[in-house]
Amino acid sequence: MASAVGSGLSRAEAFSLLRSLLRTAAKFSDYNIREYVRRRTIDGFRENRGLTDPSAIASAFSEGRSQLEIAKRQAVVYSIYAPQVKNIMELNAS
Amino acid sequence: MASLAATSVFLPGRTRSVSLHGQGMAGASQIRLASFTHQRRSTFFPGQASAPRFESPAKPETVEKVCAIVKKQLALASEVVVTGESEFTKLGADSLDTVEIVMGLEEEFGINVEEDNAQRITTVQEAADMIEKLVSKGSA
Repeated sequence: MASAVGSGLSRAEAFSLLRSLLRTAAKFSDYNIREYVRRRTIDGFRENRGLTDPSAIASAFSEGRSQLEIAKRQAVVYSIYAPQVKNIMELNAS
Repeated sequence: MASLAATSVFLPGRTRSVSLHGQGMAGASQIRLASFTHQRRSTFFPGQASAPRFESPAKPETVEKVCAIVKKQLALASEVVVTGESEFTKLGADSLDTVEIVMGLEEEFGINVEEDNAQRITTVQEAADMIEKLVSKGSA
């Protein structure tokens, strides 16, 4: 992530993508999908941390971006069919 | 005047603001000086501010909450002491963890942190100060 300056993809952009994904995750009303998106983005970013090859970085980036688009669309769809009852895991926190 | 934790001056009706970070903060000095305003006394004695929008170092409860969130995020053992001065990197957090912590704080306090501000946070105290600033801005 840190060494991707050559291909025009900077650390800051990676962080921006990460934050966008996490923010989109927060929009889901369904606990399960929300937690999954969070987990998956963190795991995905951690997995690709050490990439140095610019083309690999670029492909990981574009994959992340497409996933972000998917997540955004799904957030809207899920909100239409939001469950009335809160998930038990959410109730435990309070 | 530089010996306090982050202080900012907001005066009603003015668009200028001054941010001063004290020596206890992370190495890179981050002094953003727009200009000093007329109320000299409040810039030299921030702790005794009488101006309504003046900020002081974060409340202990805020620091407590931030510490709790950091501990949970980094899965620290309960014996590990987290204070205002603890740096995230020293506690074993990498940049991803820092982003996660900031997101967790956003959710907990209902605030929105700017992209570049999020990158600048290195200690618990800085996070708490920024939270206070954003919360007071949001409720004002």
